[in-house]
Amino acid sequence: MSGAVKRATGLTGLAVATNPHKALGTLYGKILRTLQKMPEHAAYRKHTEAIIKERSEILTTTPAVEEVEKKINCGQIEEVIVQAENELVLSRKMLTWKPWEPLVNQPPPSQWRWPPAQAVQQR
Amino acid sequence: MAQQTVRQTIKQVKPILSLDKEEARKRVVSLYKAWFRQLPYIVKQYDMPKSVEQLRDRLREEFNKHQDIKDVRIVDMLVIKGQMELMETVNMWKQKGHMMAYFKDTWEPKPKDFLSKFLSGKD
Amino acid sequence: MASILRQITKTLRTSSNRNVVACNFARFQSTETSSAQAPVETRPTVRKSDPMQRTQLKDFGKYVADCLPKFIQKVQLTAGNELELLIAPEGVLPVLQFLKDHHNCQFENLADIAGMDVPSRPNRFEVIYNILSLRFNSRIRVKTYTDELTPIESCNNIYKAANWYEREIWDMYGVFFANHPDLRRILTDYGFEGHPFRKDFPLSGYVEVRYDDEKKRVVVEPLELAQEFRKFELAAPWEQFPKFRPALASVEEVKTDKKE
Repeated sequence: MSGAVKRATGLTGLAVATNPHKALGTLYGKILRTLQKMPEHAAYRKHTEAIIKERSEILTTTPAVEEVEKKINCGQIEEVIVQAENELVLSRKMLTWKPWEPLVNQPPPSQWRWPPAQAVQQR
Repeated sequence: MAQQTVRQTIKQVKPILSLDKEEARKRVVSLYKAWFRQLPYIVKQYDMPKSVEQLRDRLREEFNKHQDIKDVRIVDMLVIKGQMELMETVNMWKQKGHMMAYFKDTWEPKPKDFLSKFLSGKD
Repeated sequence: MASILRQITKTLRTSSNRNVVACNFARFQSTETSSAQAPVETRPTVRKSDPMQRTQLKDFGKYVADCLPKFIQKVQLTAGNELELLIAPEGVLPVLQFLKDHHNCQFENLADIAGMDVPSRPNRFEVIYNILSLRFNSRIRVKTYTDELTPIESCNNIYKAANWYEREIWDMYGVFFANHPDLRRILTDYGFEGHPFRKDFPLSGYVEVRYDDEKKRVVVEPLELAQEFRKFELAAPWEQFPKFRPALASVEEVKTDKKE
């Protein structure tokens, strides 16, 4: 086996993952299946698919947990699992919100002007 | 001279709580009932030197102040603020001074006729 | 594209913390130093502009605008290298959820929710969310607008810290937050009427409070000041920076590809 098993993550409330490859694999699968339901041209879908596919490739080619952590370079494997869970929740909510559609409403004309227009001219 | 009718501009707005006048009316009536039923307890808990009849008259005055409002969203905001005040009163977060302030008994009436205005020095 | 972004985010993380000299920092850089003979300044009082950081932030702004074109109206980059997303009020929850959960964003920390009142606009209030990413060491600002009677969705389900901040904005401005678990006053006194941070609320308020010895309780009365309010017009009649006349833009807009 690849050396000593990690005793603790060092982060409060985050337990050491017992089978990180399996957990991450299922999560990435679920995310990809959720992304399939979005339209092809959606930028969110394209970018997220690229990230997830890159990470799952690293996951499948590297059996050792330490090396996976180093290659993904995003903190400990437990944190990577949390990130994947968040992304899953987000992608499911995105299916309802549909953010790839064009702008829902234009701002009123002087909304974002700074400094705001003076009502009375400064003498 | 042509008579110009005041056209009421209708625009799509996001509702706060009620969708139509009927719902807003129900909310107002239920708020009134809640305050009405709380009044005897208010007199006892805050040791107010007022009778329950006086509090009832005051309550009716407060609700009558806004009886001509047409916009449902304004009615909603007033109901929300009334509910917050009721919560503060029921939970005894307010004090006697806050409750007696509803009666404004220390407010001197503004001078109305010429001589009193002249004597008080304000225009 | 994603790998380029990973590279960008990796460099953002691995670059050392740029210590900004907090007090001595001027927004406007003099145009005269572009001439060849500028001597090397050993005690600079002007903050050095960091084009690398600016391009990274601009790319990130374009990325977010690309992913969420439905809600993001404008992306700006201020002079102090702060990225701002200006969004429609319908998009508060999607944008904040995206910024919190997405792999390339991970803005887990809500630092502040601020409000702003500009009475001359039809939607007079602006609600400003400042969020921070610990993983990528960066901050971003999300701005929305509303008027007195339109509610904004509460982001309490996304960031628990928003609870008291939204209560404060309700108390001070009167902006109603829908689906907030416990929206009530937080800073003003219990029977206080009015919303103090609005621009039409006077500086010393409408009422004053005192203890009345006859009635043996605290009494609320209309305000009476010993001296009437003095307002000074401190503007000078001469233009202050004639050489920098084209509007001293402290904010640069990030061009995003918009599909009309």
